[in-house]
Amino acid sequence: MTTKPTRTAAVRLARTAAVRLARTTAAELVKLRGLPAILGTALGTVVTGAFLAVALASSAPTATDATDVVTHTVLFLQIGPILIGVLAVATEYAGRQIATTLTATPNRRLLLAGKAAAYLIVATATSVTTIVAGLAAAQLTLIARDRAAEAREFDPWPAAGAVTYLVLIGVLALALATLLRSLIPPLVGMLTVVLVVSPLLSGYTEHARWLPDRAGGLLYLPTTDPVLGARTGTIVLLTWIALTGSAAIAAFRSRDA
Amino acid sequence: MTRLRADRRRPMTLLRAVVAELRKTATLPASAAATAVAVLGPLGITVLNAFSVRNAIRSGQPGLVAYTSPAEAAFSAAPLGTIGAIILGVVVISSEFTANSPDAGGGRQITATLAATPRRLVVLAAKAVAVVLNVLAAAAITLPACLFVADFVIGDLATPDDLGPTAARAAGAALYWTLTALMALAITVLTRSGVIPLIVLIVNSSLVSVSMVLTHVTTLAYYLPDAAGMRLFADDPLGEFEHALAPLTGGLVMAAWALGFLAVSSAVFTRRDA
Repeated sequence: MTTKPTRTAAVRLARTAAVRLARTTAAELVKLRGLPAILGTALGTVVTGAFLAVALASSAPTATDATDVVTHTVLFLQIGPILIGVLAVATEYAGRQIATTLTATPNRRLLLAGKAAAYLIVATATSVTTIVAGLAAAQLTLIARDRAAEAREFDPWPAAGAVTYLVLIGVLALALATLLRSLIPPLVGMLTVVLVVSPLLSGYTEHARWLPDRAGGLLYLPTTDPVLGARTGTIVLLTWIALTGSAAIAAFRSRDA
Repeated sequence: MTRLRADRRRPMTLLRAVVAELRKTATLPASAAATAVAVLGPLGITVLNAFSVRNAIRSGQPGLVAYTSPAEAAFSAAPLGTIGAIILGVVVISSEFTANSPDAGGGRQITATLAATPRRLVVLAAKAVAVVLNVLAAAAITLPACLFVADFVIGDLATPDDLGPTAARAAGAALYWTLTALMALAITVLTRSGVIPLIVLIVNSSLVSVSMVLTHVTTLAYYLPDAAGMRLFADDPLGEFEHALAPLTGGLVMAAWALGFLAVSSAVFTRRDA
């Protein structure tokens, strides 16, 4: 008899928290939908994915497998989720949107959680559509070239890994943008690491495997590293996200907007 | 008489505009960041490269690395300098169009700039000169420093590079950075925001450039801006890019692209509202 009211109270509290998170997420989704740049990035990523898949499938002399082709385009496609993650935060600071946002949702942890959830929904939808479009485009091109591998079993794991990687690398960008409160520095930082520093270093030092994109890349290219595997690579990427995310949460909670 | 005086005043106007733009560039935090990327980035990568080359030679396995020459270790770090040049070219323009915080009036620098210097071509020319001077200054520090560091670390372990070709490649790298910065500036004039030029140019200055993917489809892709100039500083020890344009031709093609972009952006900038 004595424990029952407390349990009800706890349930009610949890339900209130869930409702709040759902409402904040919905508000953040409305904001994201209102940004032309987000819509443009999402559509651009899908179109680029299909275009690159056709270009690679029609040119690479040894391409016989659609999954193979698509995993090679992830290198470029990751720009999409990175941009979505950075824009989701940076647009708050372009004007005084952040003041309005914090007036409506003063709980800063709740706000970050809602933002992250909204990002995850948009980025997952974008990444799934992009990878599926890429697979379809590559397969059609290979069939048109008479190069499609004959009745090989379709392994969905590299494609699922590519989607996971795309979403996760964008979370890192979101965390970095929250920490830096701006558009250009986190965007340039992320792009330089994944497109310039990582390919440069990987040729000359084996320690490059600890970079977030190299480690996370094992999600869709599972046999390219002697030390890390798909699982440990994901853990390394998640560690990068956790470190940057903790710093971002601590900074966002303690400083003036 | 008045005509003569006006003609004499014009170079002074340009000179003053250049000085003004240099001061504006120097006070932008983003241009300090760009210079840091252009100077410290290549140096850091060169140090890493040079040490892995030295370790590979010392352990008797030079096959572990793609090359052993100090110059190769230095020039393979040059893409980071290109990133610095891109950031500089973009922010010099995008900072003009970024609105201030509404608390501070929400104004844009470009209105003050055009009120002070109403001749738009003078503004654009002054900005281009300021960017070129900055990039060349960064290159003059970075490239010799990288070559020196690589030579210092690898030392007598590898065959020394010839001075002439190395100097030519250093000049080529400086030219590549400068032309890329000018293209970044010109494209940003068209977009008035830094995001699109940054993404396009960083992707295409990387080792995994989209142009390089397109070269598999058609060799015409070697005439694209970033691919045309690649031989200005990049040797091709593995013979992967046999159809790439020779340094002189490639440099000229790239310069033509940069001039073309500048011409289009001048035409647009002189005609539209700020």
